[in-house]
Amino acid sequence: MSDYLRPKNLLLAELTTSSFRRLVPKFDQVELYYNHNLFKPGDRIRHVYFPESGIVSLLSAVGINATVEVGIVGNEGMIGIPVFLGLKTSNLLAVVQGAGTSLRMTAANLIKECASSDELPKILRRFTHSLMTQISQSTACNRFHPIDTRLARWLLMTQDLMKSSEFQITQEFLTNMLGVRREAVNKAANSFQQRDLISYSRGNLLILDRPGIEAAACSCYRAIADQKDVD
Amino acid sequence: MTVLTNNNDALGNQLLAALPSRDFGRIQPYLEPVSLDLGVVLYESGDPLEFVYFPTTAIVSLLYIMENGATAEIGVVGNDGILGIAIFMGGGTTPNRAIIQSAGKAFRMSVINLKAEFGIGGKFHDLLLRYTQAFITQISQTAVCNRLHSVEQQLCRWLLLSHDRLNSDKLVMTHDLISNMLGVRREGITLAAQKLGGKGLILNLRGTITVIDRHGLESAACECYKVVNDEYQRLLGKSIAKNNGL
Repeated sequence: MSDYLRPKNLLLAELTTSSFRRLVPKFDQVELYYNHNLFKPGDRIRHVYFPESGIVSLLSAVGINATVEVGIVGNEGMIGIPVFLGLKTSNLLAVVQGAGTSLRMTAANLIKECASSDELPKILRRFTHSLMTQISQSTACNRFHPIDTRLARWLLMTQDLMKSSEFQITQEFLTNMLGVRREAVNKAANSFQQRDLISYSRGNLLILDRPGIEAAACSCYRAIADQKDVD
Repeated sequence: MTVLTNNNDALGNQLLAALPSRDFGRIQPYLEPVSLDLGVVLYESGDPLEFVYFPTTAIVSLLYIMENGATAEIGVVGNDGILGIAIFMGGGTTPNRAIIQSAGKAFRMSVINLKAEFGIGGKFHDLLLRYTQAFITQISQTAVCNRLHSVEQQLCRWLLLSHDRLNSDKLVMTHDLISNMLGVRREGITLAAQKLGGKGLILNLRGTITVIDRHGLESAACECYKVVNDEYQRLLGKSIAKNNGL
């Protein structure tokens, strides 16, 4: 288990030490496995997650196969906001995009805790607001920005949140994130390889030229990165 | 903006109408009726908010402003909800521009009173959080709709969401304004609107769009409309779709 005096999840770190200590028995620590679905649209949300490392992607879906990423959450947030807002099921798909570990609490315990004191709700309200800003940004980005710039933005955010320039990724994953056809993803990724921005083989992607990718990314990257810093 | 003198019809806002009468009675003194004109910007991106609004007949469009000044609508708020989520979520300011898309009435409440009432907990607090979830669903769905669906489908979705929040079948709206809302070139909107008109779904006259065939519009729309509507149904326990949708 993590060091109880200093939780790795930044939302939990805002709690007073005694508040966090009181919550510790209600958490269990779990592995976040790459590509694992935490919950799908329509699922009842049984647990909420406070990631310590790794990242979770939130996707909005149309039908079964068409999705677009609307948010990325790492150790700066919580997965399972609908529970906090008073609902039982999810509308979004939450899938692990970067492996790591997370503290996990049952939905019932979160509700209980939020009813007993305003300390955690206040923290979660602020996070909800920043998540809404991120989703709004994605909405606008998907309206205006071509796939190259969106891919670049996505690479930067993943690198920031994983704190590593190397990470696992499948083409299928990228297709789901970006909401484009496989051919378009291949074309964009190949173009980035040819420009020596990334190197990609056998499911492993390595960021080679960070400044080059920043130059290629749309302005949404800066807007979202700043938003996460504020928290 | 005109401040009106009677607030008997605050119950025209469905969030307020969903409150138990005792809870509504407690906040009613703080509700001030106002009249909102088409095109008025209620607040700009980054402005500190002074009021929250509960529209009854007005419809507000929330636009996200890109760095280069281009705008894309991320959601609409009408008699289904509240404008000013940033206030009780702790943000204080919003990155969006709120602009009146359809003229009408609303009730406004000062930030101080809203925060006080929200802080009491209870039904008002719970309803505002649930509305936030419905709104998150709306903006998430808009994201995927923007990515995957044709301009014609998006126009249908947009028309349906507006129609649900209007008291009539006639939308006072230019293609130019819709173009700003959807972030699509005006020519694209005109083309899509002509197609919908050709199918007998709407009547396109200068400066207005009239919904002729509601069911037809719902069939022509992408599923995004239903997702958003279902979410509000979850929230309010009943559909806000005109004619109860299909």
